[in-house]
Amino acid sequence: MTAIERYLAPADLDSALAALAGGNATVLAGGTDLMPQINAGKVAFRPILLNIRRIPDLRAVEVGQGRITIGALVTITELKDNPVIAKAVPLLAEAADHFASDQVRNMGTIGGNVANASPAGDTLVPLLVLDAQVELASATGRRSVPMAEFFTGPGRSVRRPDELITGLSLPLPRLRTVSRFVKFGTRPALDISAVSIGFSATLDSGRLSDVRVAFGAVGPTPMRGRATEAVLEGAPLDAGLIAKAAATAQDEVKPIDDLRASAWYRRELIHNLLGKVLSDVVSR
Amino acid sequence: MNAPQHASLIGQRIPKMDAPEKVAGKTRYIQDLNLPGQLYGLILRTERVHARIVSIDTSAAKALPGVRAVLTAADVPIHPIGVNKDNPPLKGDKVRCERDEVAAVAADSLEIAQAALKLITVEYEDLPPLFDPRDSIKPGAPVIHEAKPDNVAMAFDYAHGDVEQGEADSDVVVEDEFTLHRVTHCCMGVSGVIADFEPVSGNLTLYSNTQVPFLHKREFAEVLGMDPSRIRIIQPPIGGGFGSKLDIYPFEPIAVYLARATRRPVKLIFTREEEFIASPTRQPAIIRLRSGAKRDGTLTFRTVDVLLDNGGYTSWGATIPFVMMQTFSSLYRVPHCRYHTKAVYTNNPFAGSFRGYGNLQATFAIEQQMDKLADALGMDAYQFRLKNAQEAGEITGQGMHFKTCGFKDCLETAAGRSGFAEKRKALGAAKGLTGIRRGVGMASMLHVGGGAKIYPSDGCGTILKLDDFGHVTIMTGASEIGQGSETVLAQLVCEELGVPMSAVTVVNNDTDITPWDVGVHASRTTFIAGNSAIGAARKAKDKILAAASTVSNMRAEELDLKGGNIVRAADGEKVMPLAKMLRQLHFSDKAELVMTTNYYEPPSVHQDKGFKGDVSAAYAWATQVVEVEVDTDTGIVRLLKVWAAHDVGRVLNEMGIEGQIEGGIIMGQGYALCEDMPVVDGHLVNPAFRDYKLITAPEIPEMDIQFIETMDGEGPQGAKGVGEAPSICMAAAVANAIENATGVRITSLPFTPERVYSALKGKLQ
Repeated sequence: MTAIERYLAPADLDSALAALAGGNATVLAGGTDLMPQINAGKVAFRPILLNIRRIPDLRAVEVGQGRITIGALVTITELKDNPVIAKAVPLLAEAADHFASDQVRNMGTIGGNVANASPAGDTLVPLLVLDAQVELASATGRRSVPMAEFFTGPGRSVRRPDELITGLSLPLPRLRTVSRFVKFGTRPALDISAVSIGFSATLDSGRLSDVRVAFGAVGPTPMRGRATEAVLEGAPLDAGLIAKAAATAQDEVKPIDDLRASAWYRRELIHNLLGKVLSDVVSR
Repeated sequence: MNAPQHASLIGQRIPKMDAPEKVAGKTRYIQDLNLPGQLYGLILRTERVHARIVSIDTSAAKALPGVRAVLTAADVPIHPIGVNKDNPPLKGDKVRCERDEVAAVAADSLEIAQAALKLITVEYEDLPPLFDPRDSIKPGAPVIHEAKPDNVAMAFDYAHGDVEQGEADSDVVVEDEFTLHRVTHCCMGVSGVIADFEPVSGNLTLYSNTQVPFLHKREFAEVLGMDPSRIRIIQPPIGGGFGSKLDIYPFEPIAVYLARATRRPVKLIFTREEEFIASPTRQPAIIRLRSGAKRDGTLTFRTVDVLLDNGGYTSWGATIPFVMMQTFSSLYRVPHCRYHTKAVYTNNPFAGSFRGYGNLQATFAIEQQMDKLADALGMDAYQFRLKNAQEAGEITGQGMHFKTCGFKDCLETAAGRSGFAEKRKALGAAKGLTGIRRGVGMASMLHVGGGAKIYPSDGCGTILKLDDFGHVTIMTGASEIGQGSETVLAQLVCEELGVPMSAVTVVNNDTDITPWDVGVHASRTTFIAGNSAIGAARKAKDKILAAASTVSNMRAEELDLKGGNIVRAADGEKVMPLAKMLRQLHFSDKAELVMTTNYYEPPSVHQDKGFKGDVSAAYAWATQVVEVEVDTDTGIVRLLKVWAAHDVGRVLNEMGIEGQIEGGIIMGQGYALCEDMPVVDGHLVNPAFRDYKLITAPEIPEMDIQFIETMDGEGPQGAKGVGEAPSICMAAAVANAIENATGVRITSLPFTPERVYSALKGKLQ
């Protein structure tokens, strides 16, 4: 374990960004991913340990101009319980309810979940179908990156070492939007997904539009199901289309064999569970 | 005047005596215990699973400031431990599994000890490994222990009757192979020990989590070459045992070697990861079972061939065939039975003893075949079992004598309350491979309930004393490992002496004080230690009433002890306070204290060379019915409800026995559905609770628990042992329920969603 030379806990964003500028700081928020990785020897501390939890700006939840902005320090428990979030983006609140345990939810943050870039991260699939933008800041400027372009591999993203995730910005869903989130693991609580599926679309006269489908734990990053979306977009949602979409999804995911599931089983789950999601949307 | 009524404590709901401290988080476990001048011990384990050790370089570790000792096999006497004496605590010539200890460090702090481990370099020369027990017994297989060139650690053969005749008598014969996986105990308290030599006398105190302190002491003396009377074992509160602490393990002598080398106390506590890697597992088993029945539903024969994956070394767990064969030979009336088991060496982590001791594996096989036979005969699965079930008075082919037997009551109760026969018929008619399907399954079990005479003695000693104020101290050999034994012992003594629970202290954790007991195993503590404590209490009561008789001018038989008083037996009228009587005895001319001793040896017998004999003083029975839901789109199996009927002899502490049964059901549920230790090339893949899936609260089913009270004549107040029983049936019952729901019978565990889904799709190999 590398020795930590300096510990910083600034109360404002600019100080934090200044500390990050050299790119040699480890960012600590909830610590629920960081500490197990440190303890397992998978991640080493950098010389500066930067605790960002005292920065109030990063805790805000704001609605305006057709969007909702969620600060990076908003905990998973707040995602689940905050009435503004529940009303604006219920899918995110639902996903938070499947997230780890109460203890982890109380500490873990949405910014941390995004930064950790796990293919199985529980908020990432809903954020993908909600078309979120990741808000990044550094001492030299700010930028927004669409979720679909943010991840580059397991644990990897386009975030530079001198950048901090300050929050997520999401367009408010349109009227008549239907959305679903399914997480499948061996047990209902305290489990890492074998697969997860997010779905969002506008349903009008039996046809879907603005279809967004995302999958978790079936590739190196959480992914949008572009081929599946194309099958569903604008077509009448009937049994034939559901079967075609499920088959397309099964083909477009790129799962691997690991401890949690085989690639074959993951494809079967994607097929069967997407079919269930779409059937449920039809029947509602 | 109405005499006060004193309700019996037997059958009441008595909270465990250790519960308040535990619930408050104030119990001081071994982790909380620190001795002055204590060092921290750590073990370096092998990176290879089968290799010759070429060299070990400890020079850099020894040079690290704060390191007080670095030991390898070269520094300690070679004295292998374990049932086969095949496991040297530190490995010198070769390593045989992932757990193997190649060096140990004692340092001023844990951090220094960790740093020192990283400075030790070991050079290995790989040997061809064995990971499948079927490969281990092939001709020309690599040899793991030179003393056992055929790789067979232990073999067992048992027979009664003539199976060829049984086969000839059969109208229906079924044969299957069952594959059982590897799981571990997951005690909340990880393994640990503190070894402390008194500086001048050289006497050794071990603070240990063992569940067999007296056998431990004896084995330590052998390993260390010490006089056993100079070894004292103190057990701090133990965070769960479940059989995992039945053996001596290498880490314990290693801590002693470190303490001896440094002349300082050494504390050695596992991390959770180490606990997964280096504590024992249940035996993985491959069971080939062939059974037959006549058209009228009478069982005819059974032949059994079991291959156990022993792993790299031999623990007591290798003797689970003792228990397995009881189930094969005697759960049902089987006129002809032949049984063969081999426990063979592999380079996998070695197995140990675990709640149920082979009975989960045996019951998994038998109870699935009971369903198959019933279906082949066109009989109702419940009626088929009832027809072959044992009854009181039976002496089985193996020589077990069922003096009380609640098996048929258990079957009737569990089947009746669950509506088993009707549900199995209706759900079976609707079985299918689409959507969500429901099914019910039944399994029953037989287990020892009155000790098991394996050692020269199966007894337990008690010392009991009363002070001047009527307070009772029970010193018992029986260890408390979370099962609630001290509460039950206190209750049994209170019942005899007519004092409240608050007037009793139980001392059960110090071999210098407590009398001998064989240990916590075989569901024996309530039965054996309970009878021992009752005997000691009755001796005390006789003394007190004899003294009271002279004071009161009444005959002793006319007196009794109730509510802290000496009372008239006939009407409960108070004669004098108990405490006053005790003081009179103490301070009169008689000058006597009430102190008694008792040793109880159950009236069971040792098995003969053919494994026949009435090995337990009583036998426990149970039937469990489960209802499950199978989601055929994902393979997930949800356990909806469990109906459990247990012949417990008599309920002593209703709250305690409910806890035992609920916990056992959940442990069995985990074994059936999700717990698993995949070992790849000899290495455990999931040594963490993140990846080792225990049952969590949302999956725990509704339970309907019924007690069948058969009032065993030898049992304490009629009770039988029940510790292991509740975990035994679950996997078999769930297997039968999945078949009832889907028509697919799965003969390998665990029933994880992927395994079930693969089976439903016909893709399970």
